[in-house]
Amino acid sequence: MKKILSFMLIALLALGLVGCQSSTPASTEGTTTEGTTTEDTTSTTIHVYTRDSSSGTREAFEGAIGLEEGALTSSASEVSSNGDMATRVGSDASGIGYTSLTTDFEANNIKPLSFEGVEASSETVLDGSYQMQRPFNYVTRAAGDYSSDDLEQLVAAFIAYITESTEGLTVIEENGGIVSFENARPWSEVAQDYPVLNQDNSSLTIRTGGSTSVEKVIRAALESFQPLAGNVQFAMNQSGSSDGHLRTLGSEKDGANAVEIGFASRPFNAEEDVTSAMASGSFCLDAVVAVVNAENTLENITAAQLHDIYAGTLTDFTEVE
Amino acid sequence: MSRKVKDNLLKAVTYAASAISVIVLASILIYLVDHGLSSINMDLITSNYNAETFNAKVADDYVYSPMEVEDYDGYYSAKWGVAFEDVETVHKTNEISVAYVDSNSPFAHLESLIAGQEGTRQSLENNYVINNLYYNDAEGNQVYLSQGKMESAENLANILENEVTEIVSLNYQSLGGGIKGSIITTLYLILISLTLSLPIGISSAIYLHEYANKNKINSLIRQGIDTLTGIPSIIYGLMGVTVLFPITQLVGATSTSILLGGLTLAIILLPTIIRSTEEALIIVPQSLRDASLSLGATKSQTIFKVVLPCAMNGILTGVLLSIGRVIGESAALVYTTSTVINDYPTILSQGTSLALMIWSIMSGEQPNFELASAISLIILVIVFAINTIVKIIGKHFAKSFS
Repeated sequence: MKKILSFMLIALLALGLVGCQSSTPASTEGTTTEGTTTEDTTSTTIHVYTRDSSSGTREAFEGAIGLEEGALTSSASEVSSNGDMATRVGSDASGIGYTSLTTDFEANNIKPLSFEGVEASSETVLDGSYQMQRPFNYVTRAAGDYSSDDLEQLVAAFIAYITESTEGLTVIEENGGIVSFENARPWSEVAQDYPVLNQDNSSLTIRTGGSTSVEKVIRAALESFQPLAGNVQFAMNQSGSSDGHLRTLGSEKDGANAVEIGFASRPFNAEEDVTSAMASGSFCLDAVVAVVNAENTLENITAAQLHDIYAGTLTDFTEVE
Repeated sequence: MSRKVKDNLLKAVTYAASAISVIVLASILIYLVDHGLSSINMDLITSNYNAETFNAKVADDYVYSPMEVEDYDGYYSAKWGVAFEDVETVHKTNEISVAYVDSNSPFAHLESLIAGQEGTRQSLENNYVINNLYYNDAEGNQVYLSQGKMESAENLANILENEVTEIVSLNYQSLGGGIKGSIITTLYLILISLTLSLPIGISSAIYLHEYANKNKINSLIRQGIDTLTGIPSIIYGLMGVTVLFPITQLVGATSTSILLGGLTLAIILLPTIIRSTEEALIIVPQSLRDASLSLGATKSQTIFKVVLPCAMNGILTGVLLSIGRVIGESAALVYTTSTVINDYPTILSQGTSLALMIWSIMSGEQPNFELASAISLIILVIVFAINTIVKIIGKHFAKSFS
């Protein structure tokens, strides 16, 4: 009896201590999978973070490092969004993950790694020397499949804003997207093709969905587009690249989560037929960047090393040279 | 082992257990107060979350007059009578905001260029964020100054002071980050769910307790209601978006909506309301019913004119608990009202309740712990108030039949 009681007491006290200790870091943990943050942070064992399977970033990353399907190590933690990835790696000293170049690395306490000796930047992506890159794509609903003609025109105008106008391209560039200004025209010229911009559109809402990586650039673009387009409203519901096609042209296009413009942070694949869309294409390039915690001393990483880390054969940072 | 030691040990276990629960509660509170208290003010409650954007030019009838320069912070441009400072927005991006606008400044006499509201007079105000501007330089060339080229508040003030001769147009926005829309959405959800679930819930409780005979069907119904209480709310959410969505489409919904969320919540609340109403009916003494019946009242008259008024306190408790449930619910709403933070919610539009707004801002690109903690504190205060009222009613309730 005595043994049982004292054991219970010790267990309770231990539980209390753990509760006190983890009360602060627990707040930074996301809702997904194993809580690796409570482990010893001085260890150099690599904690692998990856995105969920609907992510375009994950597809681009696994393609670039040549990771076969199903080869992912079972100890990898899955996170739900680009921001989630940044937060998790930023709070895990021995974590490794990958994010979009648009991510604010400093604010999240993470460090971007060079890939095969090349640092990710708009120059190295445009000239092709940084290889872990992918296009940001958009797809709209089919022509005529909008709740009103005005909305259809506004969507077309917005696409023109982010692909053709100097102002729109500048906004995208300043928020981390990589664009070329070769064919850019001033917005005042582009806008002439869209008379709908000259009326009050505050009762109309452009809904966007798809990739979470585009969120930052598209939010900035929509915010700057709004006053140029009669105060049109917007609602962003980003959930992952595979929803980009699904909710504009695919099976969910008339469902509760339907959107006007879908985004994907990878090329649309063979099953995603975008030929019926009013407009579809790429509006900027982005780099996928392998990231580690800011405290990590690692600066460069190769495709082979990343492959081994994500396949689970390389498990310690001291082995990464 | 002596009896005394054993007793003390048992006592110590209970002490430790209660200490743990207090510590947990205290650490949550301390964390929230530490992170969120500084963000709570009236502006937070009354302002929009999404920035309101403006595009304006200097009004045609503006005549230059010397600045009156009062107090200002940040970097000041004497020529234009406006000062700027660097700030961090709710999305954790760094922007340049307005720190001071002189009443004689051209920026205090702006005219909207937005289609549909052209010519509306407006003024640049403190805390507004500058997005970009077109200006003419000394040679008369029009220059587009994007956010990136402004670099910092100091640089923008310098450019204005030294290079700008005329402002062509100015694109700016409010800072955003308020929770007004989510408060309205939460109220909508409470209203819709209660108007639907209260009559149904109370009526079925009356049936179950007053009219129903003890047979297999009725015990099956009762068991069904009890099971409903235990179903995780995310399952209600799934059912809402698949089964109830077509119903809301009939009244014109094109996407997930507050109406859909309210309908789903109404179903979630049903067992709570039925249960608490039944508890309230049980406590009404049988003697009251007997007295009413012996005076010649029918059974229905007895129930609706004698029993129900007596059970009112208990029903009210159920209502308050339901409101608490609506405020705290998030999983079922992810699917049914969407996670889009809407500043001008209508019944058929998307929106987030306060609890869902926390989810929404924490899952974004740059999670905002301060705002999330501030909202959590507000929710905690509301729940605390509701619990207190429930306790007061409960006391009053216990007295009335003793």
